[in-house]
Amino acid sequence: MSSIIVHFPILLIATPILAAAFSMMLRSKPKMQAGISVLTSFSLVVMSSILLMGVWNSGIQVYEVGEWGKYGIVLVADLLSAGMVMLCSSVSFLSLIYSLGYIEKRSLSTYHPLFNLLVAGLHGSFLTGDIFNLFVFFEVLLLSSCGLVMALEKDGGAKSSDKLEATFKYLILNMLGSMIMLIAVSALYATTGTLNMADISVKLSAMQAAGTLPWYVFAIGLMFIIVFGNKAAIFPLHYWLPDVHPTAPSPISAMLSGVLIKVGVYGMLRVFFFIFRDVLGMFQPILIVLALFTIGVGAASAVAQTDIKRLLAYSSVSQIGYVFLGIGFGSVGAVAASLVYLVNHALAKTLLFLTSGGIIHHAGTRDMHKMGGMVNSSPFMAAAFLIGGMSIAGLPPMGGFISKFVLFDAGIVGEHYTEIAIALLFAIFSLFYMFRAWLLMFWGEKRDVTAHGEYSKHSISPTTYIPIAILALMVVVIGVYSEPLLSFAQATAAQILDPQPYIDAVLTRVVR
Amino acid sequence: MNNTLLSIVIAVLFGIGTFLILRRDIVRVIIGLSIMSHAVNLLIVSVGAFSGEQIPIETADEIIPTSTIFIDSLKTGLLAPILNGTTPTQYVDPLVQALVLTAIVISLATTAVIIILAYRLHEEYGTTDIQKIKRLWG
Repeated sequence: MSSIIVHFPILLIATPILAAAFSMMLRSKPKMQAGISVLTSFSLVVMSSILLMGVWNSGIQVYEVGEWGKYGIVLVADLLSAGMVMLCSSVSFLSLIYSLGYIEKRSLSTYHPLFNLLVAGLHGSFLTGDIFNLFVFFEVLLLSSCGLVMALEKDGGAKSSDKLEATFKYLILNMLGSMIMLIAVSALYATTGTLNMADISVKLSAMQAAGTLPWYVFAIGLMFIIVFGNKAAIFPLHYWLPDVHPTAPSPISAMLSGVLIKVGVYGMLRVFFFIFRDVLGMFQPILIVLALFTIGVGAASAVAQTDIKRLLAYSSVSQIGYVFLGIGFGSVGAVAASLVYLVNHALAKTLLFLTSGGIIHHAGTRDMHKMGGMVNSSPFMAAAFLIGGMSIAGLPPMGGFISKFVLFDAGIVGEHYTEIAIALLFAIFSLFYMFRAWLLMFWGEKRDVTAHGEYSKHSISPTTYIPIAILALMVVVIGVYSEPLLSFAQATAAQILDPQPYIDAVLTRVVR
Repeated sequence: MNNTLLSIVIAVLFGIGTFLILRRDIVRVIIGLSIMSHAVNLLIVSVGAFSGEQIPIETADEIIPTSTIFIDSLKTGLLAPILNGTTPTQYVDPLVQALVLTAIVISLATTAVIIILAYRLHEEYGTTDIQKIKRLWG
């Protein structure tokens, strides 16, 4: 049993790819396809939890693909990678269960293979220890997410022309981003002669110590800010997100907002705290300024939205700014806070997007001004949306309160008073826009009586209630009993800021 | 001389690509993207060309390093396929060629997807002008 655990990093990537291939072959048998997908997704949750426990108990695990040593591709599971994989596999499992009852039947046959490929790409980009491999997995998840945005919902979904336009925009911007990433990677290779992240880190430190660090390393760093900023939708590069996330079907919006934009955060943590750890000081002010602009622009735009999913998308932009604010501060406490924030935002935003799918299905419209009074006709959705909204707005007992609290605490300890003041101001905005949305949708009377006299009777499939309930429970549990998450985030942040164990684990290996 | 020519070619390709991406026609945007991806591929290949003292592959058992950075030493954990050697050699770096193959394949796939998207956009809107397609805005 213990021998198979060693192979978990590669299994976490290979299983969904195999499942994608099998479910592609079984396109004519929807039941079997769904079975394979759910089974795969569940086994990924199990494997990632075992991997996380293994990393927590016995340190960083390194897997050499094909036993090529550090000249080949290595998969490294440290606390950050294993934690992100755990988060990703749980969110994708819940989204998959939701989408079984939500996605249009004729879209489901291609939905399952693409969904599995998306999960494979996400797991791969979290686990890989090779910077070119990171680029490859970025492309895997980019292409599969493009296909998934186009999947059709049962009703109340976006028009197919809107989906096409949003996907086109998304793909063009991300192709440009991946070209910039290739330029940066090849420049790094030209500088250090290696693609292994641990090796690059050691060599850049050696160059810094020898005083031979070339100037263009800073240009490479700025290019990486553009690449990961584009993935995470931070301020000047956020314009694609409010188009793509709302037009996608709700479970995919949940995946995009819950996990996919976190890939950018993960990449930023990996590259700046690990590869560029000695020249990090120069990039921190840039990150803080971009984060503050992201918070402001996202929150201010969210206030003015009438479309429920656009509101949630702009809220994602704003919330990812808080995560980057913690990364910009750069102390152990702040990075831990931004990790807590990341987990909480992933859970709460997944909950909100899944709930919004049910709401849109129920109301037959996406315009909040046409809804109202839904607390009587669907109390479950009202409760779930309230829990998610309270978490995003940062009200206690929910997880969002804890994450905002530790973030502002870390900022005040680090004496970043102005930044914290700005962030607090826009936190009030988030309180406003979440509760405005909730009041518009659930309180009062139905406003648009001419279009639909009554809300549709046929409610969505009961399987969609299960993931919503689980997520709501998780949000509350993290808010009430947050100690395990906080101590885990502290340990992870300590490991991020002191990458020596990672380097030792990767580089001190027998080279054949 | 060769390096200068290569740099100029890469720069010109980047320029053409950028110019085309900024056009209003989506087909030109796609052509610009693929030209730009070729510029990036050339850039990656050019990384593997060496001149002078640096050689990409360890050729002998004993290599006398000329600088302190690229030392192959198992004790310090500094290991690299690129080493400063004193003997001249014929090799070029094989890794970048593997990288450029991967990059070409990936750009083929993304270009195929984006051409399909452009075709479907043309079907839906009846135009390839970006200004007329702009329904969603930020």
